[in-house]
Amino acid sequence: MSAIPAHNLSRRLLRYFANQQIILLVVLLALGIFFTINNPIFFSTNVFANILLDWAPLTLIAVGETFVIVSGGIDLSVGAITGFSGIIAAFVMRDLNHLMWGEPATLLVGLLVTVIVGSGLGFINGILITAMRLVPFVATLVMLGAAGGLSIVLTGGAPIGDGPANAILLTVPIFGPFSIPVIIVVVVVVWLGLVLHLSRFGRYTYAIGSNSFSALVAGINVNRYTIKIYTLSGMLAGLAGMFFYIRLGSGAPTSGLNSELDAIASVVIGGVALSGGVGVFAGTVLGALILTTITSGLIIIGVAPDWKQVVVALLIAFAVLAQSLRLTNRSAS
Amino acid sequence: MTTVNQSTPSTPLYEVRNVSKSYGPVVALDQANLAIHAGEVVGLVGDNGAGKSTLVKILSGALQPNSGSIFLEGVERSWHSPHDAIEAGIETLYQDSGLAPHLSVGANVFLGREIMRPGILGWLGFLAQKSMDEKAHADLERVGISVPNSNRSVAQLSGGQRQAVAIGRAVAWARKVIILDEPTNHLGARQSGEVLEVIKAAKSKGLGVIFISHTLPHVLQVTDRIVVLRLGRVVSDAPTSTFNADTLLGTITGLIESQT
Repeated sequence: MSAIPAHNLSRRLLRYFANQQIILLVVLLALGIFFTINNPIFFSTNVFANILLDWAPLTLIAVGETFVIVSGGIDLSVGAITGFSGIIAAFVMRDLNHLMWGEPATLLVGLLVTVIVGSGLGFINGILITAMRLVPFVATLVMLGAAGGLSIVLTGGAPIGDGPANAILLTVPIFGPFSIPVIIVVVVVVWLGLVLHLSRFGRYTYAIGSNSFSALVAGINVNRYTIKIYTLSGMLAGLAGMFFYIRLGSGAPTSGLNSELDAIASVVIGGVALSGGVGVFAGTVLGALILTTITSGLIIIGVAPDWKQVVVALLIAFAVLAQSLRLTNRSAS
Repeated sequence: MTTVNQSTPSTPLYEVRNVSKSYGPVVALDQANLAIHAGEVVGLVGDNGAGKSTLVKILSGALQPNSGSIFLEGVERSWHSPHDAIEAGIETLYQDSGLAPHLSVGANVFLGREIMRPGILGWLGFLAQKSMDEKAHADLERVGISVPNSNRSVAQLSGGQRQAVAIGRAVAWARKVIILDEPTNHLGARQSGEVLEVIKAAKSKGLGVIFISHTLPHVLQVTDRIVVLRLGRVVSDAPTSTFNADTLLGTITGLIESQT
């Protein structure tokens, strides 16, 4: 505590700038300025609305992934669960549409179906990991293959439409760039941020990721919480499936394809450690926003979207570098 | 179903009788007996592989024995998880891995028994972090341990402070029995001395203390009775005063044959 003031100040500055959320905000701002300079159209409500429509489902998936990774696990199946639950809901909504159900009721049932299917598959992940003792990587890889494969088998690879025709109109912004589904996602995400950082469920998620043995001997039912965490991740992937349905007006096996990788990228860019026990929720949300901003921005300034992968890869490298710098800084102090 | 133990003049506070545990063909613990009275410190010693950790895990509910019985205050009990034993008033400090390093001191002290916010927020699962931090600080001070800040993460503490928090947590929560597995490991002389003081304080409060250590001078200094395990069997159970450093070492290694 009695350090030399100058030394203290530099350390405090370093800590301030090493704060991952501040860095992410600066990166986001820089990206916005860069894209706007290259094409002023970027700075418009329409583009922002579009970015948010990309951001919302990715964030849902990435938030579930955050819980899983903070608990020391990994969930590779989220993209496949997104596609599968969207397809099952699409089949149900098509039938209800044929039965002349009203659109709101049909969509509500569809939402329920995605949540149930997603939670169910997430629950199976949890059972594979706890009762069957598979490591999370393998368990969720199994689920990725099973759900992804079934999606193609059930649909023959084609999107399932013929549902509520006006669903897609829900994606029209009603408040600035925000549409109703995006607002719902924001509410869900804020709520889950509070749960992760302030609730007992969140506390146990960190405890299990930090040291699962200490969590166990403290009397925490580690298996039950692990199952809950993977169920939550599956449920959010299911919700993302419903979001894609509303956006595209159909359920497609390609919805959510590879989004587990984008989700993990968001989490890592957000500063959540893959080793578990560490991470700030806002990081993931900003990480997902950066990812989707890059995707839209590159298209708008006329760069081939394939470059996105390269830019994202660089961001991940920087994020991990910042993390290890912060860790060495901490252990030095 | 519980059977009440016919009590002798003083029924042991906590007792295991004839407990055995095998891992496949390996017999880790063979018909072991251990009893501890209120206000007594029992040392549990033995070489590596003698079965100490297995016995500790059975006592703390982390492992279930293949056979044998467990009695708490003369009543037969069985633990299905550490949670059961904790609920019954038995706290355990595990060697090296008692704390979650990324969580704060307060969060660690209250891990598994969090205080919830009052009203609807508590019902929704939200934590009263501030009162936990304050109570953690007070609880640790009460048992003679002072840590600068309850909201610092455990990873930021020194090894000695970490161990102090782990011991403080166990002593603060223990209502009947406290099991300390190598509590003075990796600690300097002064810090070890503080740990031994905490053990004496727990004893004077009427807790039963089981002290597992490789550091034989500490065992001889703080215990009332010493139980020696060798190859999964209890080979000696005698008052500490009957041992000196040489005879204790001899009993552990088997150079001295002694009867239970």
